[in-house]
Amino acid sequence: MGTENQNYPNFPARPPPPSTSSSSPFASAPPPGVPPQSSGPQTVGFRPLSSQPTRPFTPSGPPMAPPVGAMRPMVSQIPGSRPPPPAYGGGPPGGVGGSFQRFPTPPPFPGSQNPPPSGPPPPTQTLAGHLSPPMSLRPQQPMGPPGGYVSPPGSGFQQSVPPVNPSYSGVGSGPPQPSFPGYPSNQGFQSASQGPVSSYPPQTGGFSQHPGQQNLHPGYAPPTTSSIQGLAEDFNSLSLSNIPGSLEPGLDPSSFPRPLDGDVEPKSFAEMYPMNCDSRYLRLTTSAIPNSQSLASRWHLPLGAVVCPLAEAPEGEEVPLVDFGSTGIIRCRRCRTYINPYVTFTDSGRKWRCNICAMLNDVPGEYFSHLDATGRRMDMDQRPELTKGSVEIIAPTEYMVRPPMPPTYFFLIDVSFSATKSGMLEVAAQTIKSCLDNLPGYPRTQIGFITYDSTIHFYNLKSSLSQPQMMVVSDLDDIYIPLPDDLLVNLSESRNVVEAFLDSLPLMFQDNGNVESAFGPALKAAYMIMNQLGGKLLILQNSLPSLGAGRLKLRGDDPRVYGTDKEYVLRVAEDNFYKQMAADCTKFQIGINVYAFSDKYTDIASLGTLAKYTGGQVYYYPGFQSSIQGDKLRHELARDLTRETAWESVMRIRCGKGIRCSSYHGNFMLRSTDLLALPAVDCDKAYAMQLALEETLLTTPTVYFQVALLYTASCGERRIRVHTAIAPVVTDLGEMYRQADTGSIVSVYARLAIEKTLSAKLDDARNAIQQKIVKALREYRNLHSVQHRLGSRLIYPESLKFLPLYGLAMCKSTPLHGGPADASLDERCGAGFTMMALPVKKLLKLLYPSLHRVDEWLLKPSVDHDDLKDVLRRLPLAAESLDSRGLYIYDDGFRLVLWFGRMLSPDIAKNLLGADFAAELSRVTLEEQENGMSKKLMRLIKKVRENDPSYHPMCFLVRQGEQPREGFLLLRNLIEDQMGGSTGYVDWMLQIHRQVQQNA
Amino acid sequence: MGEVWTWIISFLILITLVGLIVYQLMCLADLEFDYINPYDSASRINSVVLPESILQGSLCLFFLVTGHWFMALHGLPYLYYNFQLYLKKQHLIDVTEIFSLLDWEKKKRLFKLAYLILTLFLTLFWLIYSTLDDYEE
Repeated sequence: MGTENQNYPNFPARPPPPSTSSSSPFASAPPPGVPPQSSGPQTVGFRPLSSQPTRPFTPSGPPMAPPVGAMRPMVSQIPGSRPPPPAYGGGPPGGVGGSFQRFPTPPPFPGSQNPPPSGPPPPTQTLAGHLSPPMSLRPQQPMGPPGGYVSPPGSGFQQSVPPVNPSYSGVGSGPPQPSFPGYPSNQGFQSASQGPVSSYPPQTGGFSQHPGQQNLHPGYAPPTTSSIQGLAEDFNSLSLSNIPGSLEPGLDPSSFPRPLDGDVEPKSFAEMYPMNCDSRYLRLTTSAIPNSQSLASRWHLPLGAVVCPLAEAPEGEEVPLVDFGSTGIIRCRRCRTYINPYVTFTDSGRKWRCNICAMLNDVPGEYFSHLDATGRRMDMDQRPELTKGSVEIIAPTEYMVRPPMPPTYFFLIDVSFSATKSGMLEVAAQTIKSCLDNLPGYPRTQIGFITYDSTIHFYNLKSSLSQPQMMVVSDLDDIYIPLPDDLLVNLSESRNVVEAFLDSLPLMFQDNGNVESAFGPALKAAYMIMNQLGGKLLILQNSLPSLGAGRLKLRGDDPRVYGTDKEYVLRVAEDNFYKQMAADCTKFQIGINVYAFSDKYTDIASLGTLAKYTGGQVYYYPGFQSSIQGDKLRHELARDLTRETAWESVMRIRCGKGIRCSSYHGNFMLRSTDLLALPAVDCDKAYAMQLALEETLLTTPTVYFQVALLYTASCGERRIRVHTAIAPVVTDLGEMYRQADTGSIVSVYARLAIEKTLSAKLDDARNAIQQKIVKALREYRNLHSVQHRLGSRLIYPESLKFLPLYGLAMCKSTPLHGGPADASLDERCGAGFTMMALPVKKLLKLLYPSLHRVDEWLLKPSVDHDDLKDVLRRLPLAAESLDSRGLYIYDDGFRLVLWFGRMLSPDIAKNLLGADFAAELSRVTLEEQENGMSKKLMRLIKKVRENDPSYHPMCFLVRQGEQPREGFLLLRNLIEDQMGGSTGYVDWMLQIHRQVQQNA
Repeated sequence: MGEVWTWIISFLILITLVGLIVYQLMCLADLEFDYINPYDSASRINSVVLPESILQGSLCLFFLVTGHWFMALHGLPYLYYNFQLYLKKQHLIDVTEIFSLLDWEKKKRLFKLAYLILTLFLTLFWLIYSTLDDYEE
């Protein structure tokens, strides 16, 4: 499937922005810019129409459609068939018709939009799309509802109702299909929908590729008259129903939409407003803002945005730095909006009008510039703040409450027995030492350490010493700091002492047998040392805090709580100490990152609270062993220490008149109703927010958003990063759906669902996701049910075609999936904290990871291009994608799993694994061998890791059938499959469909 | 004459309670309009939460001791609610989540205020009633 998919992008479902409403069927004609289909398998096929020959003539046809419609139907009969031409050739108006054959392609098929290959299609032609029922017919098994109609003469089809639809039992049953991906060529089809069924005997293919619709619920057998569908439709559809009389769903899962191209951002919007900031900084859940509260309430999806203020820009697109010098930063007097490309200059350049509040402001003398004839400033090109949606402004002293702080790194390291035994201490000390040169902010960088077990150890790192001095404090009830300063020192001055300390650290505690952990008091001590400066506090914790304030109980061990209404209590911080400490730390600009390593319960729920409210992150390495996870820790700790970080920052999002941010979701603390306090931010953190309309009616044609992040850069400059975006206000719900951004919606939903698990059962959180999707689709259905006969199809806008799948993936993600037994509490909470901070792309990758087959690629001699994207296709995440003769690589951004099929040629295994290829894979680590194949694979893995350096995916090897590792590492993550009580993709779609139809 | 004093004392306690609730509401309103930061707001409110509960509890007890079981009964739901919150450790404002809970916290206090004012009127009624009683005797 993967392959075909790529071709699809060309068919955007939604019409170009200007074109409008859903009400006119024709609007959906392919957007002008869209090229006809690209080559590839698709070219051959065009979308077949659905099997209703009669349609055109139905009275209900749209007025305009007739001509086209007429031909359509005929075509449609042949769904899926590639060969049909002869039969139909003579077909009615079918000149055009001939050209439409069914698309071999899968899911994402915006039905209506596929233009015929030839020439620019008249708008009307587009229609056929959805209507065609997809059908996979097995040869000889025609199926269809009895009510069928007669196939057109000459077509040579027979219609019959299949008793049972075997069709879709998986790849295996398909004829000779080698593997899943391969199937595009054979398409069988069965058309069930719309009642009539034409079977196409000769055809054999196991899969129906067609995303069209199938309909198979007995109850829903569509009337034959559904001809209206001949019209262009603005939406995609999938028909999901059973064939009458058969129990087995006759669905063709291969036709379901899958995001095999990764995250595709809506493009049209960026093109419309080129001065908007890039979507990596700000993504709205829909780029069309509703003009009234009533409209907003009908849009059941979240109205919001995901902001990643410091996202890494590719080279050449860095955010320009602007210095207003003595002029001072130019902002609106009333609403404090920063000057941006959307302000307008009037009064021959002496005044400017704020785009957010419409206030007329004076232009300062130094900033004055004449306007040209069109009202543009003459100096526009020299001023990035007037041309770019993202700029960084150097802030003068008015924006500081104190001199900019130096980058500060403070380490709170657990040195108890398990920390030394697992090797954590050694890896951490080495990593910190190796990063000393790369810490940002030289020469101002400050550094300090505390270690603790049952006592707290302070280290005097004064530059005049040759060796660090250790001071032990064992009074945990009344913590005091043994030295007023020198516990937090300037790195460049004390470099030698710090290095000496890091060298000796693992040795000092080598034989430490202490198993206690005075974490709470140590945290307090660190807080007391840091609260003058602020900075980043890295906590490396190896066991459950057991002494002093903040001691935690082994509450996760109590099985009686699981599955009850009280279960959520386990997912929130047990002791108020943690929330209080987090709040205090944020107040003093301390950001906390928690690294947890224990193999036993450590109550990540409580520890993570520290990161959550200080804008930090949780890294969880269950059962850390330096031999296995050492590399991961090394990379992630190094990344944490060396990435560009914004210190003591606050972020505010200003919205145009009539709209405001109603809630925020992510890791931060609110300092006032709309001000996010972020002691340390970096490019790997994103924040979500929901918007609410304040006024019942928005009268402006557009709405502006401005994200401003005021921070101290590592170099000591105070800066303001400003991202500005504009979005049109619309009156039409259809337009909102068309402009929706699935990635952003999923991101907001995931955060809402995770927050919900903190106050409700997992089940409730999952149901909430499903309900929201159902409501949205139902509303969408209602929107179209008036003009279109929808029959039993599930319809959805092109922009949201992946939403149901991502919804399913969310329900199966670590924080939400299964019951209490399916993931340890710590893993769940750790993943929850991580997901709350992930930027959109990274989250989507985690939800729907990529799966590639690599054995064939490895065998190919070509060496030049090994870009994952070019060479390898992504496969659907289903067990059917796995061939026991293959080698697969699974990548969710956090780990890589190499899956060795049972029948994989031993040569490959031997080449990759060296001598121990037959050994149990859990003990084997992948190392580069002296042969081309292994080098090629390692290069690939390296590339994958470099593509996204925010986390270091660890590589796991697993052989087919190796339980329980296989299940845990891979099978459980094949989210389209039904696994132990969870729903598969097909069932999920059926459930959603059923619910959408209720009360529709 | 003792009756009158009972009502006067309970009246004074109620006035104090109303004052405490109004103070909390003011802190929340200030927070909403950004006049004070969440840390100050939360610590100010939290400093009076326990006194408020204790005072209300003693008022109930006072009614009971002086034999006004109806008034004691009237105060019970309030007492029970406070006690429940205390048991769940939710009686104090959580500074980290103060903004997301702002509406709920305000609503909660407005209800309490309404309840106290109702009690205040009842008390006033009894105060006047018993004064007249005394007077007639």
